[in-house]
Amino acid sequence: MKRSALEYERPERLAATGPAERRGLARDGIRLLVTTPAGHQHARFRALPDFLSPGDLLVVNRSATLPASLPAQGRPGVFLLNLSTDYGGGLWLAEPRRDPATPGPLPFDPGEAVEAAGLPARMIAPFPGLPRLWFVRFAGDVRSAMHRCGAPIRYGYIRTPPGLADYQTIFSAVPGSAEMPSAARPFTARVLSDLRARGVRTAHIVLHTGVSSLEVETERVEDQPLYPEPFRVPGATAEAVNRTRSSGGRVVAVGTTVVRALESATAGGRVQAAAGFTRLFIRPDRPVRIVDGLLTGLHDPVTSHLAMLYAIGGAQRIREAYVEAVEHEYLWHEFGDIHLVIQN
Amino acid sequence: MTRTTLITGASKGLGRTLASFLAAQGDELILTARGGAALEKTAADLQRTGANVRALPGDVADPDHRKALVAAAAEKGGLDLLINNASTLGPSPLPDLIDLPAAEIRRILEVNLVAPLELVRIALPVLKSSGGLVINLSSDAALGGYEGWGGYGASKAGLDLVSLTLANELRPVGVAVVSVDPGDMNTEMHQAAYPDEDISDRPEPEATLPFWAWLFGQDPADVSGRRFQAQSEQWLVSS
Repeated sequence: MKRSALEYERPERLAATGPAERRGLARDGIRLLVTTPAGHQHARFRALPDFLSPGDLLVVNRSATLPASLPAQGRPGVFLLNLSTDYGGGLWLAEPRRDPATPGPLPFDPGEAVEAAGLPARMIAPFPGLPRLWFVRFAGDVRSAMHRCGAPIRYGYIRTPPGLADYQTIFSAVPGSAEMPSAARPFTARVLSDLRARGVRTAHIVLHTGVSSLEVETERVEDQPLYPEPFRVPGATAEAVNRTRSSGGRVVAVGTTVVRALESATAGGRVQAAAGFTRLFIRPDRPVRIVDGLLTGLHDPVTSHLAMLYAIGGAQRIREAYVEAVEHEYLWHEFGDIHLVIQN
Repeated sequence: MTRTTLITGASKGLGRTLASFLAAQGDELILTARGGAALEKTAADLQRTGANVRALPGDVADPDHRKALVAAAAEKGGLDLLINNASTLGPSPLPDLIDLPAAEIRRILEVNLVAPLELVRIALPVLKSSGGLVINLSSDAALGGYEGWGGYGASKAGLDLVSLTLANELRPVGVAVVSVDPGDMNTEMHQAAYPDEDISDRPEPEATLPFWAWLFGQDPADVSGRRFQAQSEQWLVSS
């Protein structure tokens, strides 16, 4: 697929600049765009159960957001070190940035010493193909340093820094994500209770998200390097997914992270318990095998997430949906509105 | 936590990439390769960045050299990582297996199969004392039956079975063994396999760094006995 197939126009102002609660809405009061083979419908997120059927299964990500943006200093001066992924033994993949609105890359040499959140650290090597990301090795306890000096990662379009609690979802249980698994943010106790009443069940995985991927840079979308993320699909979830599919229900992923985790744990048309790192890139030439639908935010032009959406909803239908979303002034980004895409 | 790491075939290609990656993380490195000049240069480059590197040039097929490598690890008090990366492809261009002289296949097996096994055998005390991880570099040629790759492929298929068997046998003493297929890379060895081709479209050895970063962060017991593809989409542990 050519890079240009992922281009579209979105007015800059259609970006959520903070949590829905700051716009005077409940978390579940944001808008829901529903895309099915029958077309596109507009609703509020609270009405999600109306668009699902008894026997459907929602799979959610239980990863919680870390205060992963650390104040740092070194040869390039004062900078932000946004931690993306914990590789174990003090080694992290991280994104050094000037500030929330100004990305890197910053100039470093392999082995160079820096200090982040008061801990000594070394810049080890850039991530192959993505030179804005570096492997960084820390001496000391990164998790506690993060809770002492870190803040949630945010970007330039977020005006007033939200608190860590704004970045957690009702499912957040296992700390580890650099950024909020945001498709789960609008879920509330009443939505969950309405889903249960409707006969829709839930199951869970864990996938710790890394920092946001930027635009696809390669001419062929398939050539874009993605970085791997840690995930775990429990046996009970694998069973629930397989049972749902064999009894004719639909499996709906809450977030692109869930699609990645489930599809990474799939062999021979069935999901099995699995744990490890995955950089599976779902796109039209690598279609989904397990997931029938996806609940997700609205994604920027020329991103790998948009390629995943094309793989699930079909390129034509997703392009139509995005035209609708712009016309109806939906809001983009992690605190924005939500899109439900159902294949069948 | 400073690891002591022994890398064979460390002067060029993947071995050199791994040496740089681990040196930057503060590992104490023992490096070996046959080409003394290239090895000294790699070691000197790393030492300039402040790395703790000992270069011992020699042939891993030579039993005395293997003893010297393990003695160097014993001086450090243990061995956390043994990376059996040195390999020989045999003659270039690659002859069909039926035309591969017995002396050549013996040499391939000595370097690619016997040497890694012997290194584990004599390093076992230092591997045990560190709860070490042995990484044997394999190849998709171990599975493929590709024309011309029979000698090298047979040695790597043998090495895969050596890895799995050692993993099972050494689990009770706390030593882990994995086999890793790094995938096609733009290296001198790959060029020797395709002497007339432009192989610059193959990924550089650095493309495998995310995998190594992941592997080195795992509890060795969780990965022992597994065979990984460094360039694949996912790396799984027993769940």
